Amino acid sequence: MNTERSSAAAPLLCDFHIHTRFSDGQLELAAVVDLFGQAGFDAISITDHVATRETAIGWVARGLRLSVTERTFDTYLAAVREEARRALETYGMLVIPGVEITKDYLNADLSAHLLLIDIQEYVCASWGYERIFEAARAQDALVIACHPHHMSARTDRNTLYFWNNRQHFAPHIDAWEIANRDDVFGAVGLKKYPYVASSDFHRPRHLYSWKTLLSCGRNVGEIKRCLRENRGVAITLFRN
Amino acid sequence: MDLSVMIVVPVVGLGIAGLLLQAVALRAALRRRGDDPVEEQAWPPVSILKPLSGLDDNLFGNLESFCRLDYPAYEIIFCLESPNDPALAVARKVRDRNPRTPVSILVSRSSEGKNPKVRNMRAGYSAARHDILLVSDSNVVVDPAYLKATVRPLLAPGVGLVTNPIRGCGGRSVGSVLENLHLNTFVAGGTAFLFGILRLPCVVGKSMLFRKSGLEQIGGLRAFRDVLAEDYVIGREFHRAGQRVVLAPHPVTNVNIYGGTKRFLSRHSRWGKLRRRLGGPRYLAELIGNPVFVAACAAAARPGSRSLALLGAAAGAAALCAAWKSRLLDARMPLPLCLLAPVKDLVIGALWFVPLVSMRVAWRGHRLHVGPDTRVVAPGSTGEWLRPRLPAFLRTRTA
Repeated sequence: MNTERSSAAAPLLCDFHIHTRFSDGQLELAAVVDLFGQAGFDAISITDHVATRETAIGWVARGLRLSVTERTFDTYLAAVREEARRALETYGMLVIPGVEITKDYLNADLSAHLLLIDIQEYVCASWGYERIFEAARAQDALVIACHPHHMSARTDRNTLYFWNNRQHFAPHIDAWEIANRDDVFGAVGLKKYPYVASSDFHRPRHLYSWKTLLSCGRNVGEIKRCLRENRGVAITLFRN
Repeated sequence: MDLSVMIVVPVVGLGIAGLLLQAVALRAALRRRGDDPVEEQAWPPVSILKPLSGLDDNLFGNLESFCRLDYPAYEIIFCLESPNDPALAVARKVRDRNPRTPVSILVSRSSEGKNPKVRNMRAGYSAARHDILLVSDSNVVVDPAYLKATVRPLLAPGVGLVTNPIRGCGGRSVGSVLENLHLNTFVAGGTAFLFGILRLPCVVGKSMLFRKSGLEQIGGLRAFRDVLAEDYVIGREFHRAGQRVVLAPHPVTNVNIYGGTKRFLSRHSRWGKLRRRLGGPRYLAELIGNPVFVAACAAAARPGSRSLALLGAAAGAAALCAAWKSRLLDARMPLPLCLLAPVKDLVIGALWFVPLVSMRVAWRGHRLHVGPDTRVVAPGSTGEWLRPRLPAFLRTRTA
């Protein structure tokens, strides 16, 4: 029999890729925070889509209100910060505001999704990549390339642009998703890129998916440093 | 008048009367008062055992609610079988955030016993410091007044065990709405009916308070290690030993938010199998007590305005009783959702037949075979006759 005395050494259970009804998630923000808080998570990032205006898919997403826009960004950020206060008080869980820059084209080789974690100001998805990286750097936001390789899920489209041009983009990207929901991208590990695993949460059942464990302090600065240095990072398949 | 009408109308009428009687019994159970007041220093210390296995909806809130009880002296023991259980992180967080409440977390794996919940509780049972034990499932949330309201009846002479009514709250998916409806109608009403009208103990393990010394007199926890419906059987054995089993007038809340329809079907097919093993021929009464299903079968067999009117009356009575019971329990279930009660009754009616075919249950990752008195038995010794004769594709669907 093992009697648990302290949880000081336990790694932080984290998910940095979560959508709410501010874009195409099924649950409203408060319900998402409660779902993760009730399940014992230590840190999450809310990363609703910011869709580009450059493409028809992006226009449709913005028209259907499946994207945060420059007009709704302040409301979005304020709501996430309010929930962050509540989550810390209720569950001791960090909620970090973020966005998913979403550039979808009909051609998967041109499509790219990029998470910006701990964002303070609006970043337009229609900007060029260099400008987006510059804006992220200026805010000290963490930059994560999401689902960079071929996915198995039938309903998701591949987003391969960063991976196809990885030598050019790698210096600008803090971490690459090595696992997204049920998919594992072995190539990210083989290239020895900094890695992170997340759920790409859209609906409650996505809670049970790949997650990141971080051995670091429970604050945003430590978490960003840990991911950038990619030390003390582990991934886990969170199952019930 | 046609013979089938002469049979169906009284059976449906009996079922409707049963639903009304359940609601009346529930009302009486929730309004029961009369226990003597207890002075603050006279409350006995309590050990709360919480067996954990996996994540339930609202788990953090469920566990933390036990740290906020208005009770002078108690300890909480979270029991887990695996250090990899996702509930461990939640239990740690609850303990760390409530340093003033004595919370222990025990992780131990025992091979003794076939009931996973009893096996999980054994280390906590041995480690409990107080004679009064509260066994409480991980999927219930309580308010601060709960423990006093539950301990108070135990202090009366002759009382051996106290249990509580259950209400379901929080449904956001079809499965969880059906689950909550069933808890608020059949489970809460049926428990109150058995306790209040038939004077039979019907203990549901979501909340069981008893003295450890009392349990030891009927064999201790080890006597129930292979019994799947250990809650009901423990209550029955207390009753047989001459100790009163009481339903406290304070409900506990089972929060079901996102559970799917598959989970609802699996849970109630499992509970049905346990009730069939415990009830024997009395299990038939459940079908008679489901007037919606009986009327629907009659309407399907002989469609017509009379049979449809009978079905409408049964459905109306079921919806009304669901609304009434939910209100009595303060389950905060929106009225339009109570209109789904007849649909739920149809599903439950169909599930009634599953235990006639199969005695296998799936429970939190365990596959078990239910034998007499709900003892877990080896595959092939459950006395099933029909299931082995079914085609393979049907056999897998009845497990």
